[in-house]
Amino acid sequence: MAVSPLPTRSPSTTLSTSNTAFRLKGVAARSPGNAPSPQILQNADRELTEQLNDNVRQRYMKDKKLGEGTYAIVYLGHLRTEPSSLVAIKKIKVNAEYKDGLSMDAIREVKYLQELSHPNIIALHDVFSSKDQNLNLVLEYLPLGDLEMLIKDGNIHYGAADVKAWMGMLARGVWFCHENFILHRDIKPNNLLIATDGEVKLADFGLARSFADPYLNMTHQVITRWYRPPELLYGARQYSGAVDIWSMGIVFAELLLRVPFVAGNSDLDQITKICEAFGTPTEENWPGVTKLPTYIPADKGHIVPVQGRDFFLRQFPTAGPVGADLLMSMCTLNPSKRSTACQVLQHRWWFTEPRPTNKEDLPRKAGGSQKMGSDLTRKGGELDDSPFKDTARQLDFNAM
Amino acid sequence: MPPSRESMQNRGDEDEVCPVCKSSRYLNPDMQFLINPECYHKMCESCVDRIFSSGPANCPVAGCHKTLRKNRFRRQTFEDINVEREVDIRRRVMQILNRREEEFDSKRAWDDFLEQREEIIANLVHGTDVAKTEANLHSYAQANMHSIRANQALEAQEASSFQERQTQEQELARLRREVARQEYENERREMLAGREDVLSRLAAGGPGDAAAIAREGQKVLLKKSSARRSEEERIRQKQAALRGSENKKAGQAALTTADKAGGIGDPSFIKGLKRIKTPEPEKPYDPFGGLAPNKRDYYTLRDYYPSSYLDPLRQNVRAQAGGYDLQEYYSRTLLEAFAGLGCFINEEVAQRDATSSLGATKPVSTEGAAMAASSKSPAESF
Repeated sequence: MAVSPLPTRSPSTTLSTSNTAFRLKGVAARSPGNAPSPQILQNADRELTEQLNDNVRQRYMKDKKLGEGTYAIVYLGHLRTEPSSLVAIKKIKVNAEYKDGLSMDAIREVKYLQELSHPNIIALHDVFSSKDQNLNLVLEYLPLGDLEMLIKDGNIHYGAADVKAWMGMLARGVWFCHENFILHRDIKPNNLLIATDGEVKLADFGLARSFADPYLNMTHQVITRWYRPPELLYGARQYSGAVDIWSMGIVFAELLLRVPFVAGNSDLDQITKICEAFGTPTEENWPGVTKLPTYIPADKGHIVPVQGRDFFLRQFPTAGPVGADLLMSMCTLNPSKRSTACQVLQHRWWFTEPRPTNKEDLPRKAGGSQKMGSDLTRKGGELDDSPFKDTARQLDFNAM
Repeated sequence: MPPSRESMQNRGDEDEVCPVCKSSRYLNPDMQFLINPECYHKMCESCVDRIFSSGPANCPVAGCHKTLRKNRFRRQTFEDINVEREVDIRRRVMQILNRREEEFDSKRAWDDFLEQREEIIANLVHGTDVAKTEANLHSYAQANMHSIRANQALEAQEASSFQERQTQEQELARLRREVARQEYENERREMLAGREDVLSRLAAGGPGDAAAIAREGQKVLLKKSSARRSEEERIRQKQAALRGSENKKAGQAALTTADKAGGIGDPSFIKGLKRIKTPEPEKPYDPFGGLAPNKRDYYTLRDYYPSSYLDPLRQNVRAQAGGYDLQEYYSRTLLEAFAGLGCFINEEVAQRDATSSLGATKPVSTEGAAMAASSKSPAESF
């Protein structure tokens, strides 16, 4: 596998070469802590990077605000030279927590997205800083909302072929991340945005990080709770791509059931729910689980055996027997026994009937740009649990 | 329809002689001449019967060795045998090259096609490049059997619908004439009745009333005729409207049938045909979306690499339970060690500039495809 880091990701095809080649360097030099060390060169260099940054900034126009959150504001924008090429500009707010730097989410997002170019991963076209050192990410514009919207909308009917198509796109995106040794760590339906042509794209890399480093502890406080795998709930500090596969499995189950499958109110409740649904982890089915930092021994009288194939067949009849097999392999308690993204894609299910729907024919819904706005402004690992969750949504006459 | 005696006489072929049996019209006034489109040699009906009744035979004209069949003999339409021949050729070519104007992209392409067709006909008529032209025509007919048949059906349909319309119009005209005559008759009768009425009233009434009665009678007649006229006008308008809508419907029908027609054009033979989109056969679903899994150009991954640095981790139960996999570390290390080999930035830049100068839009998956594209260098083992 040979990947060159050459950025070729601008939405415009007419691009001056020198500009692209230096663009990322320019941004890097702007971020604090990365300042050029020789005192003499600093002035000239600053001017150069500033100029390059201005070049990038001036290529885009901000049109209207799509959404605002605590962490970022998302605008609809377009290329100055080509008003028909739409982009989403995510402006990261200067955070009070990180007074003299950028928030981790922003750094992660830029760091990993700029290296990934795949049809199922949101494209990062450009990065620039605007006044007050605000970081602006120029992202692909995905106007058709997200999967959560489709799952929740009772007026939309979809079938096994549609689920297969969505899962295929999600699995390809996750596989590509893992193949490049990047964990997404926040896979959930509202981070799966839908492009104009129906393609599902993995978005929000605010919690992403590279993995497989030995002896390097990673945090277990990632992934939105409902989609968090048991090893993270038990406080594992060294884990692998299997955490994303679990989330994928839960998303799969949610797509089939149209309600969140294991939705715990707290981390403890989440463990209980998982044990009830899939079985209680024991030393037999998961060697070493009792040694995990926050392992809670299960009630001796209430040990649920690990669910077999029958359970998945019964619970998810729409997936069919082969689909139930795949779901079972994605929701295995022991992470080292769980399928890898590559194994998921090699599964028989993709070739059994029904054939996945063509992406153009997938069910869709209008008014997704506001949804994209709210999706991109959310902080990683959070749910949409605002105090006014069940109140009627404000009518937006612009969307009509 | 056999030509009438007068027309034959008009042609002045009283002394016409059959070139085969030498019998003349003088002796046999009912003599008919027949030709065969194989060679266009003329002979009388009795000769055809005599020579070809028992099966195909050679043409009796000296020097012509064509084998003729009886069923192909027919009456001559044009006096000039060359015209007859050209018309036959034209009919045959037109039957094969029966493309329609709506099948072409532009007026220009249609005109080119017409010219090409004329050229083919001229070639066949004048005997230039006959073998090649025939071969072309034959292969075209083979390749475009469906569209030829569709267009023929379309033509037949058009002809029959034209016929239908013609008879319908004739019928309508007849009805109109009938109605007009009827009206005239009614008018006449009413006028007579009115006049009689006036007369009888005049006979009955006094002398002073005469002028008043006459005026009144005139008025009644006028009123009636004007009422009739307005009624007629109304009916006529109604009919016109009806006819208009019928025409429109017929036009629409013709358009939809024209859309349906079409087949696979032979791009080498007739140019400018509209591309007919045939749906591509669905490719089998590729879960990896065009990328190849586990593709390594420069190394093969081993299951175990001895390292004292990694040994403690191998024994670490927590890491194992958390799903940490040393295999991923090996894989990543080797990937990073060899990343960039086989990537030539200059070439990629040149390639990108070339595509962007062409104005081609870059497909999103280009980089991914490049990633999966295999490199020819042999795999090394570490």
